[in-house]
Amino acid sequence: MRRGVRDVSASCGIYEALWLARLHQRPVGALYVHLPFCRQKCAYCDFSSWATAAGDPLIHAYVEALESQVGELREVGLLEGCRTAYVGGGTPTLAGERLVGLVRRICEAAPTIAELTCEANPDSLDDLLLGRLRGAGCTRLSIGVQSLEDGELRALGRIHTAAQATERVAAAVRAGYDVSCDLMCAIPGQTDESWRRSVAGAVSCGVGHVSVYPLQIEENTPLGLLVGDDEPAWNDPEVQARRMELARDLLSDAGFARYEVASYARSGRRCAHNWAYWTAVPYVGLGCGASSMLAREGYDALRDVAPQLPEVPVDVRRVRLCCTSSRQEIARRPALHRLSFDIELLDEGQAAAEDLMLAMRTVEGIGWGPLAHARAVLGAGRVDDALAWCAHRGLVSHTDRGWAPTDEGWLLGNELYGRLWDLAGGDVRSLSVSGRP
Amino acid sequence: MKKDTSHIRNFSIVAHIDHGKSTISDRILELTHTVEERDLESQMLDSMDIERERGITIKSNAVRVAYDADDGNTYQFNLIDTPGHVDFTYEVSRSLAACEGAVLVVDATQGVEAQTVSNALLAMNADLDIVPAINKIDLPSAEPDRVREEIEEDLAIPADDAVCVSGKTGEGIHDLLESIVYLVSPPSGDADAPLQALILDSYFDEYRGVVATVRVFDGSIAKGSRLQMMATGDQFLCDGVGCKRPLETPLPELGVGEVGYVVTGLKDPALVHVGDTLTDPARPCAEALPGYHEAKPMVFAGVFPVDNKEYENLRDALEKLKVNDPSLTWSPETSVALGFGFRVGFLGLLHMEVVKERLEREFDLDLIATSPSVDYHVFTTAGEMLDIKSPQDLPRPERIDRIEEPYLNAKVIVPPDYMGAVMQLAIEHRGITKDMVYLTEKSVEMHFDIPLAELILDFFDQLKSRTKGYASLDYEFADYRPSDLVKLDILLAGEEVDALSFIVHKDKAYTLARGLCDKLKEIIPRQQFEVPIQGAIGNKIISRSTVRAVRKDVLAKCYGGDISRKRKLLEKQKEGKKRMKQIGTVDVPQEAFLAVLKVDDDA
Repeated sequence: MRRGVRDVSASCGIYEALWLARLHQRPVGALYVHLPFCRQKCAYCDFSSWATAAGDPLIHAYVEALESQVGELREVGLLEGCRTAYVGGGTPTLAGERLVGLVRRICEAAPTIAELTCEANPDSLDDLLLGRLRGAGCTRLSIGVQSLEDGELRALGRIHTAAQATERVAAAVRAGYDVSCDLMCAIPGQTDESWRRSVAGAVSCGVGHVSVYPLQIEENTPLGLLVGDDEPAWNDPEVQARRMELARDLLSDAGFARYEVASYARSGRRCAHNWAYWTAVPYVGLGCGASSMLAREGYDALRDVAPQLPEVPVDVRRVRLCCTSSRQEIARRPALHRLSFDIELLDEGQAAAEDLMLAMRTVEGIGWGPLAHARAVLGAGRVDDALAWCAHRGLVSHTDRGWAPTDEGWLLGNELYGRLWDLAGGDVRSLSVSGRP
Repeated sequence: MKKDTSHIRNFSIVAHIDHGKSTISDRILELTHTVEERDLESQMLDSMDIERERGITIKSNAVRVAYDADDGNTYQFNLIDTPGHVDFTYEVSRSLAACEGAVLVVDATQGVEAQTVSNALLAMNADLDIVPAINKIDLPSAEPDRVREEIEEDLAIPADDAVCVSGKTGEGIHDLLESIVYLVSPPSGDADAPLQALILDSYFDEYRGVVATVRVFDGSIAKGSRLQMMATGDQFLCDGVGCKRPLETPLPELGVGEVGYVVTGLKDPALVHVGDTLTDPARPCAEALPGYHEAKPMVFAGVFPVDNKEYENLRDALEKLKVNDPSLTWSPETSVALGFGFRVGFLGLLHMEVVKERLEREFDLDLIATSPSVDYHVFTTAGEMLDIKSPQDLPRPERIDRIEEPYLNAKVIVPPDYMGAVMQLAIEHRGITKDMVYLTEKSVEMHFDIPLAELILDFFDQLKSRTKGYASLDYEFADYRPSDLVKLDILLAGEEVDALSFIVHKDKAYTLARGLCDKLKEIIPRQQFEVPIQGAIGNKIISRSTVRAVRKDVLAKCYGGDISRKRKLLEKQKEGKKRMKQIGTVDVPQEAFLAVLKVDDDA
């Protein structure tokens, strides 16, 4: 089997060249904007978001701050050719008309954007907003439905009903959006049967995309505190696996193909923005807790407007940043050079190992381009051995396009990714910087 | 030269756990200006990290303080700290033998508790003058009168004069010191008689060699004296003497009745034995002090580095530890499952735990300890006798004529209410009750013959829990007796894992095998494949359980492109795996190898 890999990869110079261009791409291909406001915090959520009243002046000031940051990015050319944008949260729709303005600003700053997604919750997505967002340039809505059973929704601390969710999702589809539903399995009170109903209900609303997540019990959430050290039966890995497979079967019968661990789409309806995360496309994130991934070239460009960012050693190929400024700090002093960041510096080998690991989240797996590059950077023998080990364990299989995860590899992703990330060798250098006063 | 001992008081402080022994020691050091308040590190006497953390005393320690009494005289107090665990009973008995008195501390809110009883009995057996002290009287819930009655009734110790103190506020500490002056007898030695001194403890100092803590009974020791240890016959030239206040303070001599340290200059710690008697080879005392025996390892366990590359480091670490712990012994051992390591001999289970923890902490090693075993005598059909300390060395059954195992004489002191529970426990552990004697109306001394192998498993913990902590245990080696023993093997995913094998009595093999398989199932994490666990005697499988395969392990959510979070999770999982031992395709956590100690008794 290993023999075969060598033969093909020897003749894949063109794939590797294309891949290398991506690794050195200066401007970003994707823009993420984070709005950390929710009407109420869900019991399971540990994401960067806080309960905020819809009319809170902080929302206004914060969104305005992000709009000016988008402008700064455009000034240094980082948004040139940007293909996708994603406004996530929190509950972006809670910002109402402010969100409409933000979407408009993003589209102006990056006219090449072809897909602009907003996250939305059924309770804050009225017909007026649907129309206004569409007009401003939003093409896609990712709606947090989670379940279509009222009892389960209550247990999760969601503030909408199943009926409300179905009605709003259908309205979004009618309004001409590409619509995705988030559904959550292995939650309290859920049965295989109720899970089937939720999945089928979402499909029947006419969506083109479904995301399926097993509930992750996080420490320091109300749910985590409630559960403590227990391992509740409703969240047992066995249950999670069964529900993920149930969803896979139901969705595939309904014409949805799985293209990532948690993502299913009808033909042509994949989320191009999320796809960028797994395929080494540079992206920039704005807002509290937002993540960016830049090639060294893009990072150096960002430093022109954010000089608090340090010059990095020559061997650094990729920089990951996470904005650590609070909502209030961002709102009060929006300029990029005021922001604080946690920074990770990856050398060429670490970036290559990371790409292998991320590629394995997708249905395409590791294609010839990244494979050839990884073999060159990390050592052909080591890469082949790692893949052979994964294949021996039944986590990956050889395809005509490279190596792709098996069903087992999707369910036991951490095993697979862990083995590939091991190739990186050495700890990722990390540091924190504070914004300029 | 001071030949009068009337100003000396040698005593220990004994108490139930958390009744305030350490705070009272601290207050005494403070009130006598031995240490200034600002230097007072809480619990001065317990110096080893592990001792302080676990609140137990492993090594003995003796501190000298000068007390200006109300009668105008200055007294020399030697405060001797004693180890508090059954693994170290011998050390306790030697420490108490160095005292004339004991301060018995009782909590004013909780009254007489289990260890109060066992410690008081130990002190009374050693013929000590007992000074009862009722502690924590600053608490609103203190009931000194009730506690006074308990001391009189439960312990038959006159408590009219019991001193009420507070280790926290210092209240009553002065009265306590006065009571020590009046109630504890001064030592009764002869300064002109030939030297007779007891070694209570010893430790190794890189520059000065072995330093011994001693109590002088007759005669005196000065720098330059030639000294001889009576049990071993070894001689050395005394390099210096002194006492601890609590830092070492050199003195011109250790006089009769005094406690202090002796610098031996000896480079081999194994030459100095706790309990041995020091004398002058030119003018030896008539006989050695009674009660000496060599601290012999009773429990043997395999100790292996998780990472085989650490083997050399482990050997170096053991050698360094032995310098301060001469009771430690070891020999190389090889395991198919665990690679190269050592079979290490310990005094008991606590000793084993403490040594393993010190090796891991002080030498930064990741270790696996296997189930403890005893030293079996195996008689082969060919007529030879083999010493078997490790189950994997046991010959094949057809080569074995019989196996003999070490038996102990065990002594349990317990309130009469718990006699039934103790007898039941002894029966479960193949013990034979020999007799029982009422010591007081509230305590019975029971004698058993019991196999050491049973005692080292969970006997002590069980005894404490079934008697609500009231029982105290003491034991000594009796003899070897034939038993019907078999080797229980454990198979993981069909492969025999030698490091999990265990020698057990035939009648208990089935229960233990079942319990062990169930316990291992709990301990071994789910793996990608189903892992069958089997217990077997020879080729016969007698129990079975299965670790189910992990079905899902992936962080599905995308978290707005936060890849660092996913990577950190992977690194955490890897860190966890590194601490496990891969045996075949199965990742086995360290604690699995000690699972036999955790098998529930209802299993």
